[in-house]
Amino acid sequence: MADERDDNSNKPEAPPDPGRRKFLKGVGVVGAGAAIADQLLLHASEQAKPAAAGGASVEQGAADVVLNVNGQKRTARVETRTTLLNAMRNHLEPQVSGPKLVCDQGTCGACTVLLDDKPVYSCLVLAVDATNKKITTVEGLGTLGKLNEVQTAFVEKDALMCGFCTPGFVTTISAYLKKNPNPSLDQVKEACKGNFCRCGTYPHVFEAALSAAKTIAMNNPLALGTESEVRS
Amino acid sequence: MQQPAKKMKKVMVPRVVDGKETMVEIEVEDTGDSPKWGPNNAHRLLNKNITRVDAPLKVTGAAIYSYDVRLPGMLYGRILRSPHAHARITKLDTTAAERIPGVRAVTVVPSAAVVEGSQKATEEADKKNPIKVGGTAQPASNAVLKIVRFEGEPVAAVAALTPEIADDAIRAIVVEYQALPHAVEARLAMKPDAPKVMPEGNIKAASKSGDREKVAAAIAGCDAIIEAEYSTPTVHHACLETHGMVVDYRGGNTATAYASTQGTFTIPGDTAKELGLPESAVTAVVEHMGGGFGAKFGIGVEGKLACQLSKQTKAPVKMMLTRTDEFLFAGNRSGSWQKLKGGAMADGTLVALDATQYRLGGLGDGSQANQPYVYRPTQSYREVSSVYTNQDSSRAMRAPGHPQASFAIECLIDDLAAKINIDPIVFRKKNLPDTIYHRQIDRGAREIGWERRNKTPGGSAGPLKRGMGCAVGTWGAGGGPSCVVDVNVARDGAVVVAVGSQDLGTGTRTYTRAIIAEELGLSISDVLEKIGNSKLGNANASGGSTTVPSLAPALKDAAVNARLAVAGKVAPLLGIKPEEVIFADGKLSGGGKSLAWKQACAALPASGISARGAWKEPLQARGVHGVCFAEVEVDIETGFVRPIKMVHVQDIGLPLNRLAVASQINGGMIQSLGMALYEGRVMDAQLGIMLNPSFNDYKLPGTLEMPQLVSIIDDEDLREAVLGVGEPSLIPAVGAVANAVFNACGIRVRELPITPDKILMGMMKEERQKS
Ligand code: FES
Ligand code: FES
Repeated sequence: MADERDDNSNKPEAPPDPGRRKFLKGVGVVGAGAAIADQLLLHASEQAKPAAAGGASVEQGAADVVLNVNGQKRTARVETRTTLLNAMRNHLEPQVSGPKLVCDQGTCGACTVLLDDKPVYSCLVLAVDATNKKITTVEGLGTLGKLNEVQTAFVEKDALMCGFCTPGFVTTISAYLKKNPNPSLDQVKEACKGNFCRCGTYPHVFEAALSAAKTIAMNNPLALGTESEVRS
Repeated sequence: MQQPAKKMKKVMVPRVVDGKETMVEIEVEDTGDSPKWGPNNAHRLLNKNITRVDAPLKVTGAAIYSYDVRLPGMLYGRILRSPHAHARITKLDTTAAERIPGVRAVTVVPSAAVVEGSQKATEEADKKNPIKVGGTAQPASNAVLKIVRFEGEPVAAVAALTPEIADDAIRAIVVEYQALPHAVEARLAMKPDAPKVMPEGNIKAASKSGDREKVAAAIAGCDAIIEAEYSTPTVHHACLETHGMVVDYRGGNTATAYASTQGTFTIPGDTAKELGLPESAVTAVVEHMGGGFGAKFGIGVEGKLACQLSKQTKAPVKMMLTRTDEFLFAGNRSGSWQKLKGGAMADGTLVALDATQYRLGGLGDGSQANQPYVYRPTQSYREVSSVYTNQDSSRAMRAPGHPQASFAIECLIDDLAAKINIDPIVFRKKNLPDTIYHRQIDRGAREIGWERRNKTPGGSAGPLKRGMGCAVGTWGAGGGPSCVVDVNVARDGAVVVAVGSQDLGTGTRTYTRAIIAEELGLSISDVLEKIGNSKLGNANASGGSTTVPSLAPALKDAAVNARLAVAGKVAPLLGIKPEEVIFADGKLSGGGKSLAWKQACAALPASGISARGAWKEPLQARGVHGVCFAEVEVDIETGFVRPIKMVHVQDIGLPLNRLAVASQINGGMIQSLGMALYEGRVMDAQLGIMLNPSFNDYKLPGTLEMPQLVSIIDDEDLREAVLGVGEPSLIPAVGAVANAVFNACGIRVRELPITPDKILMGMMKEERQKS
């Protein structure tokens, strides 16, 4: 199954199938096919070649964006190259820093947010592309006083240690349980395969996801989806 | 007035420097009576499952990590790294970078700030090679870095209004390098004509022990002999929160450093030095931190640069490393290369071992536990040396040196067992003098279903072959006298426990509360903890599994003192003696009367009571074991290994929080699984650069690789003392997985990680030998 966050189909302006991992941003960075070639190019462009003196190439232009984050319209002035993640973390006032910056290249899932209810890596979305969309971060899923079922299950099952990956996992799983309210263990693993945890919370994360699914089912028996709705 | 001389006693404690543990003898005050934990099953909160007190903050995104700190007027720092493994800087011009709108400061790395290990070599070279520096960025001393000795070595740094602009500025710095010959592979660096990585030579002999001739003679008389080489690559900590800190200094007399660190108290001194302030003027704050695993002590070169930039701009600077930085200069687990020759008798006696061990720590010394590790053959010889290469220095990483040593010896043990055709766990038990291993092996074997395993390696039918393996580890896990804990009980009943220690994700906050709540008969939510601040009571850095055994005894001592102080004030109300007051269920009772906690606290003086606690040696212990079993499935057509199940059995004395201990044991197994099957730095020997410095190309274990994981706390450990569990839970899994692969398919892979190509190559070789 393709990771849902691989899917750029909701971005009409995107070139055909850019693929999340080749979508590199910034100045002078070139995406290439093979991983090793990628690395060599990164080395060459990022480090070895200084930009033209005067730094003329950096003029990216500023943009005033209105971001609809967790039900609130928030404005910020960003550069057009600023990612949604950096806009939320560095430009919104007050900041939205639940989503974490970890790899900045769409591998780890710590920056996962929901864009019109679909999980995306916010380090791979430009802020200017996220206007007119509904953005939900981990802060919007539940609050300290009222955790959602997934957050509650994470607390109970000890599905976090350092917790740096946790916002990403909570967001991914919360969205997945809407799509598939009655997942198997393997489906949970599949749903979170785009999220890394270095502390090693995976087994407790799986338990938490399955337990949250049970709680949700108990709380709203009518919300159970039928098997055919479940994308495999 | 003459103070009576304090009674002192000598104890051995671990001293952790940069995460590396050595045992030292110290004198501590002999205070006579120490409180006791009591039997493991007599606790109300401890040794139970306690949900983390900071979990709600972390699941809602409300927890503010150092990486999340954002201050008014804050600038973002970025570091320019060397693209060469070894080069002379001939020109460094920051003029263009300084002209970029939004760039506030540029600084070049002074030669004194180079990453550990390269310093000595650099200084020598610096004397001979003056360079031309353009722009205004040179430090006052003009002690500019002139020779870079590994790819990724920091060269310059900038501070700008946004991280994006900082990236631009880094690219606009002009550096010209004259490439010098390098050696990034240990085997090449050891050749006599290899480029010199260190002025004194690329090999440093560390230690020798045993009589090699006697060992050779003993081995010659053995029924089974295995002689083989084992190697493990450089492995990365890969903490999700990168290294770094936010320095809040605006040119005044004080500063605050928000650091992602394992040692709150390792921050103020270095920061103060860089800023030119007295140490007491700097406060370190570590509210929440995103993983350390041994790599995060002190402010590092990134912290020094952040201070530099902050000093130049009189503004707060956030300097968090990028993921690439993290891979290239923020430390790693040293690689290893071990040549072992061991012999056993047909009755299963391990007779002798000859070991040549190389630690491969780049520009650092690296670490490796001494062979024969936990085994005690009658004869053994070892020689250990470090081999230097043009790579960044290794740092401590969760059980430094142990998984490397455990992997090699456990593979050898398994091969010997196969050769004399004896069950590997029977062989282990016969040769492990410490019987705690025996009960842990039996427990683990039951859980994994050892009797189901292949009796002959590779013996099962079909292309999908299952196998099981076992391995053991050991660790110190004791503590020392560094923590000072303060407890305050207010007249309104509020209880606050304060100590400067940090929570790396191990659950420090939670047991800090729990120990106090347990003693006072309160619930977890009745106590508030304050940690992660250098203005609070001193605490040790979290390295070597020393946090629990250093901190928990001081917490217990403080809790007992607080209880006695409260009892002293409340006992008269109950009409009994202070020692008769019972603290339970949120009440104080005795003499047929009982008072609710808040009611009782109304009897306290207006300022409440304060109690302090210090380390008590008898409350902690030293020395843990740990056994891991693994089951895997190997597809012999593709070489692909699928982990099926892992079981780890761990003694830990009194587990403070069973839930957090289970999490930590799981984490140890998973990181070890990564080392066994997936992880490793890949170097290009010719270019001298790392080919996989990103999460795309450095493979971490993910959800799809997860086997069923069973973490078992060895409840037969009745020491009634606390010990650490971070390191021991990681050590044996790597050997267990390697042995399971061998048991599954009969192919012994001695070079980590065990990737499909190595299994297929092994199969090919075997085929060829047969034909
Ligand atoms: S930070 Fe976006 S996927 Fe890692
Ligand atoms: S809990 Fe630390 S990375 Fe997942």
